[in-house]
Amino acid sequence: MKTLPAPLRFFSIAALALLGFFLPRLLGGSSHAYDTFGMIATFSAMSYGLDIILSDLGEISLAHSAFFATGAYAAAILSVHYGQGAWVALAGAVLAALALALVLGMITLRTREFAFSLVTYAAAVVCMNIAANWDFLGGSDGIVGIPPLTLSLGSASFTASQPRQFWPFAYVLLLLTLYVVHRFRRSRLGQAALMVHMNPRLASMCGLAGNRVRLLVFLVSAPISALAGWLYAFQRAYVGTDLFDTYFLVLMLTGVILAGRRLLLGPLLGTALLVGQKSFFSLGAYGDKLILGTVLVGILCFCPKGLANLWRRRSHAAVEK
Amino acid sequence: MNVAQQLVNGIIIGHAYALVAVGWTLLLGAARLVNFGHGQIYMVSAFIAWWVMSTTGMTYALAVPLAILASAALGAIMQRLFLRLTLSQDLVNLMIATLGFGQILEGAAGLAFGPKPETLMSPLQAMVFTLGPVWFTAQDALTVAATILVFLGLYLALNRTRLGAAVRMAAEDPPLVALYGIRIARVYMSIFAFEGAAVAFAAVLIAPRTPILTSMGFEQVVMTFVVVVLGGIGSVGGSYLAGLLLGLFTTFFSALVSPAYTTASVFALLIAFMVLRPGKLAASRNFAR
Repeated sequence: MKTLPAPLRFFSIAALALLGFFLPRLLGGSSHAYDTFGMIATFSAMSYGLDIILSDLGEISLAHSAFFATGAYAAAILSVHYGQGAWVALAGAVLAALALALVLGMITLRTREFAFSLVTYAAAVVCMNIAANWDFLGGSDGIVGIPPLTLSLGSASFTASQPRQFWPFAYVLLLLTLYVVHRFRRSRLGQAALMVHMNPRLASMCGLAGNRVRLLVFLVSAPISALAGWLYAFQRAYVGTDLFDTYFLVLMLTGVILAGRRLLLGPLLGTALLVGQKSFFSLGAYGDKLILGTVLVGILCFCPKGLANLWRRRSHAAVEK
Repeated sequence: MNVAQQLVNGIIIGHAYALVAVGWTLLLGAARLVNFGHGQIYMVSAFIAWWVMSTTGMTYALAVPLAILASAALGAIMQRLFLRLTLSQDLVNLMIATLGFGQILEGAAGLAFGPKPETLMSPLQAMVFTLGPVWFTAQDALTVAATILVFLGLYLALNRTRLGAAVRMAAEDPPLVALYGIRIARVYMSIFAFEGAAVAFAAVLIAPRTPILTSMGFEQVVMTFVVVVLGGIGSVGGSYLAGLLLGLFTTFFSALVSPAYTTASVFALLIAFMVLRPGKLAASRNFAR
């Protein structure tokens, strides 16, 4: 693929980003459209946390729904019980996710493949169990009455309580996440993660400590999902144990796999398709679960490299003709 | 606290854990497959039995084999779907695919059976035996007896029969099975069907103890996986022992400390085990023992 010269590339990316921002307005600008786009941005930010682990480290973390929920719970507790502002809630969400990731990362340091997945899955179930039983975390009722999101930057202050007002926040979060993931893939840590994944022996010959790389990548990925959770808590004004539902986990996994792994925009496109279906062509909670599962199984069984690969294969075939 | 009663409860629950896990033990040992849809197959089996009984008025004794057959078929469908991934040992994709399969089952069960809790009625649940200070139901006795039989049967089948030898070969090296002149797909088919049938058998025996919900699959998997890991991946005898010990542990933990945090305590137990014996997690040497 040809690459554009740097200034041109910068402008085209900026134009795309600007176009993305006006997309809900171009598609009618209804409250429902803004809500859908807000969900797409939030859930794809959540998926990017998992994307780093799945695509770069090659492991399946099933604890990312717990990181997502951790961010949401931290935001809810800090803003409802302690009356703190959104920035403090944001810091709390990141710190709580880092702490949980550190503990989980240490526990799973020496596990690989299915053992890693099993332990992270069990951790998610345990987190849900604790959230459902501990009154500090709201117990089975959850925490209600999260105030509207108010972020002050210098003298300016932004408030969001409607889907229309949430969209800019969600969009900025998404752009930030994209930037972080892009930078991560080009960073030393990102390169090291890929080498540890693809060729562990070469990695150790190059002097990379595999376990340290794995732990660091885990620590990078957890706050990404937690930040999405932080925003989601304000969007819904309520957190509860349903955040641990496997639905979110499967949504993340499907979002990452649907378009194709190690594509920067892959999780965004995958999540957009899935959330779009749920929002515009919903078949009820159970029907949507059924569709989500079918999409995931279908992709893995018939096109494990994702839809983008299907398209690439076709264009290759066209060239060969 | 009635120690003798708790001991009996622990033994019963332990056998229940072991029975739920037996299918997965074989699947993991022989096909290296982690089935995250395991809990949902458990749920679907219980609901199939309930549905058959409530719509046709069939007895419990007739609903049991029907649910087992239906879930064995589910296992076979899974095998057909995942054959390519299983043969290429694409473990990462396989794991995610089973998670998706579980999601399909949960969605379908929700559409078919609704969100309400239901009760699977077993006539044996009402028969209570009292022996001095302890009591248990006929259903409990049946669960324990059935678990012992299933484990003995699996052990003998793996070690004494031709199919068992083929399964052990598939665990060792799948292409070897083809060299021996046996169709590997057929071996996997029997493994998957056994997984479905075993978890269905467990479900119809154990589900009458509590109300059943279409959302109960998520947590069900955790105990199973602790049993499988503690028992040594794929080890038949180890799983039985681990299930039994885990049953005793959870019973005494919830009686002495707190019933709400039993799942968390089991997870702590697992972590302690992983820290003390990290090598155990990767081993498959114990398969079929």
